Amino acid sequence: MTATRDLVADQREQFAFHDDIAYLRETKRGLTRATVEEISGFKNEPDWMLQYRLRAYDHFMKRPLPTWTDGLDRINFDNIVYYRKPSEREEKSWDDVPDQIKATFERLGIPEAERKFLAGVGAQYDSEVVYHSVKEELSKLGVVFMGTDQALVEYPEIFRRHFGTVVPAEDNKFSALNSAVWSGGSFVYVPKGVEVPLPLQAYFRINGENTGQFERTLIVVDEGAKVHYIEGCTAPIYATESLHVAVVEVVALPGSKVRYTTIQNWSNDVYNLVTKRAHAYENSTVEWIDANTGSRKTVKYPSIYLRGENATADIISVAVAGKGQHQDTGAKAVHLAPNTKSRIVSKSVSKDGGRATYRGHLKVSPGATNVVASVRCDALMLDDISRSDTYPYIDIQEDDTTMTHEATVGKISAEQVFYLMSRGLTENEAQNLIVQGFLEVFTKELPMEYAIEFNRLVKLEMEGSLG
Amino acid sequence: MTDATAEPAAAPAPRPTRTGRRVPSELSFILDEATVGAHASTEPDWLTADRRAAFARYQALPVETNQLYTTYVDLRTADLTAVRPWTPSGSAPDSGGVDVPVETSGWALFNEHALSAHDLSAEARRAGVILDTLDGLNARDEALAQRLLGDERSLPLDDKLAQMTRAGWNQGVVVHVPAGVRLKDPILLRWQVGLGGQALLTRTILDLGEGASASVVEELEPLPDAPEEAIAELELSAGLVRGATRAARGDQALFTGTLEVHLAAGAELAVASIQNLASGTVAFQHRHAEIGEGATLRWALAQLGGRLVRSRVDNRLAGNRSSVEQVEIVFGAEDQLFDLTSFTRHIGRDTTGNLLSKGALMDASRSYMKGLIIIEPTAVGTDSFLGEFGMNLSKKARAVAIPSLEIDQPDCRRAAHSSSVGPIDETQLFYLESRGIPPDEARKFIVLGFLEPVVARVPLASAQDRLRELLEAKWDAGPLAGAGSSGAAA
Repeated sequence: MTATRDLVADQREQFAFHDDIAYLRETKRGLTRATVEEISGFKNEPDWMLQYRLRAYDHFMKRPLPTWTDGLDRINFDNIVYYRKPSEREEKSWDDVPDQIKATFERLGIPEAERKFLAGVGAQYDSEVVYHSVKEELSKLGVVFMGTDQALVEYPEIFRRHFGTVVPAEDNKFSALNSAVWSGGSFVYVPKGVEVPLPLQAYFRINGENTGQFERTLIVVDEGAKVHYIEGCTAPIYATESLHVAVVEVVALPGSKVRYTTIQNWSNDVYNLVTKRAHAYENSTVEWIDANTGSRKTVKYPSIYLRGENATADIISVAVAGKGQHQDTGAKAVHLAPNTKSRIVSKSVSKDGGRATYRGHLKVSPGATNVVASVRCDALMLDDISRSDTYPYIDIQEDDTTMTHEATVGKISAEQVFYLMSRGLTENEAQNLIVQGFLEVFTKELPMEYAIEFNRLVKLEMEGSLG
Repeated sequence: MTDATAEPAAAPAPRPTRTGRRVPSELSFILDEATVGAHASTEPDWLTADRRAAFARYQALPVETNQLYTTYVDLRTADLTAVRPWTPSGSAPDSGGVDVPVETSGWALFNEHALSAHDLSAEARRAGVILDTLDGLNARDEALAQRLLGDERSLPLDDKLAQMTRAGWNQGVVVHVPAGVRLKDPILLRWQVGLGGQALLTRTILDLGEGASASVVEELEPLPDAPEEAIAELELSAGLVRGATRAARGDQALFTGTLEVHLAAGAELAVASIQNLASGTVAFQHRHAEIGEGATLRWALAQLGGRLVRSRVDNRLAGNRSSVEQVEIVFGAEDQLFDLTSFTRHIGRDTTGNLLSKGALMDASRSYMKGLIIIEPTAVGTDSFLGEFGMNLSKKARAVAIPSLEIDQPDCRRAAHSSSVGPIDETQLFYLESRGIPPDEARKFIVLGFLEPVVARVPLASAQDRLRELLEAKWDAGPLAGAGSSGAAA
């Protein structure tokens, strides 16, 4: 119980800061064909990538904004800087990272985390990877963990074979935007049969007012290989809109196992519009462990396309929506092959007028026989002014599918709060503990350090509501 | 939901050129202004104005306004380009030789747009119950007609098809039960429709005063195998020359029907509907209930017939402690498509909603079960449950369940939904077989048992028997009856 009380102290300040960085290169505000050409030119990219970007740009301009969710029309695409580069080249060693940037990361505790247990660190400072290290032993195993831009140069074959195959540029308006202006992100390749013993970690950071972050992550896990990738986000708080449009592609080749964990805490002015999708081949397992606590609006549905027999999909999605926030999150499982399994668990908390929406899609295509699928969504509402929505789509086209779906919405039980208060907790602490218990299905999947960090974030959100 | 469509399993990778979004089908039936205006000469001005307002909305609205469902609009099998509405006719054919159950409080039988007979028990008549066509109601009590027909909220304003019916209806019926009157026996409303090339647009209004109680059974049936003279008579009453419909008789027909329910405080109503239209009939149904304080509504809806059925049920739980229980079943075969929306809004305090949809699908039939529960900030103490369950009985059958919740008031007794789609339960099958029941019989028992909840709620014994017969006959005509021990359902 002491630990709980210690964590109640307001640590919001620790996550909210902004350093003045001298950017080496940046594009003008707004997006034109020339902006796209300029970005590609900065990076000395091969022509096919430039053509890909331009095609994506044309599609982005043509495609209307989605209408099934609201508030996206408030984004002013002309007031965004689409590319910024804070330092000249990729750094190989921590000592080479510029001091100012290092100070930022130190406040986030990255080096410490690395010392403890992390295999590699890919830190994204604005639009470029500035710091990246892979432990020697992983390099020896043939594991590639580097910035996506660097991978385009160093591993052109693997890169081109998989880039854009899971999330095509034309998939949706925001995947088109990302494809046109992407920069940074992580590239992971795990060779056949290699099991990466420690989680790979990348810290993503937004810094700089109105800077768009358009990172592109591509993870290819070869046959029989195994990897756990973790991304954690904290961002400084600003008054004007920021935009984060990422695309994450995961290719899980036969017999592989991939887990992708996200803890997200964008500042409350960020529009976070992310397309995350995995292709799971025969006998592979893909797991998305996804938490969304910050941002003004998040639109994100981690998806798994089960393309090979006996593939397994597991998605745990957690959202906390506070004042002025809309977490429009969920999950999708698309069964395209026989004997595939999927499980979706979603937990959401809404409070102080926040809105949590679960939107999910479970599809069983013709030919995908003997599928087992389950969807479970639970929502907790902490007050009368918040809102919780559930929109699950379930589309079954095979007669031997076994599918179950359940959803419940409720509030914190007064009895539970009373019981905890009778044990000496304040009302805030009691509610906090109950929320943490509600979200435990998620936290127990995290490495210990992350579980602590996540509980701290939840606490910050709870503090805000009652302070 | 940009991922809403999946690429086929065999495709090596998603094709980047495809934008993925299907264009919603357009409605091929056209209601024109002249048809709507044709009623003006015989109807009061307020009614003409009501039709015109509805017509304006019909023209402006898309087929589906709810963004949750646009992906699932599919009107491709409805070919209504040649279909024309019946023109109004005052003549009612004689009521000789009709076969109606005895244990009713009243009944009305319609043959296409014409009322062929109606009657009310002496007891009901004495109590002031009204059972009449809407034209009849207008003549009898214009104030009541205006209250019921002119209530803008009695059909959803954002629904193109509901507004189409409101603008162009060419027949209608009202059941009015005064305050305090409790009818023991049900009222039967039977429509026989489906003449190729013709569109019948109808409104049915059920109005119960404070503390009133009633039950209504609606039967939607195909035309009996009509002799030439009967068709000639229909053509005559529709103002057509003899034989005009002959060429069109193989064509599709359109039936649109509403059930507009007004329940005053403390009223109790049970409504059962058995839809068994012919396979060439396209049906659009709108049921809308305004439920007052402490009032109770029970729906039991069976969908068997029709080529394409789009149905929407709106329950507005406006009064405190009001409640609705809704059970809907679909039994599909061949290439039937059932597109069912259930929309329940909790507004008053301590309201209760219990909604259940079940679909058993054979051949290449499809069922979209779309449900939305909204709990408004005022609806403290809501108890709401929505269940959608599908049973796919063939490889080509398709069940889609979209049970949604929008909650603005967390102080609920219960707010939950649940859905499942699966084949026949093997353990149930095994149990029945272990009791000596042959596999074919066992399957039939399980499927009919799955659909039984609606049958059991039909308030008229003879209609209950009739529904059981229909379900059984549909099973027996289907691909699984007598399929042998090879197990066609497996």
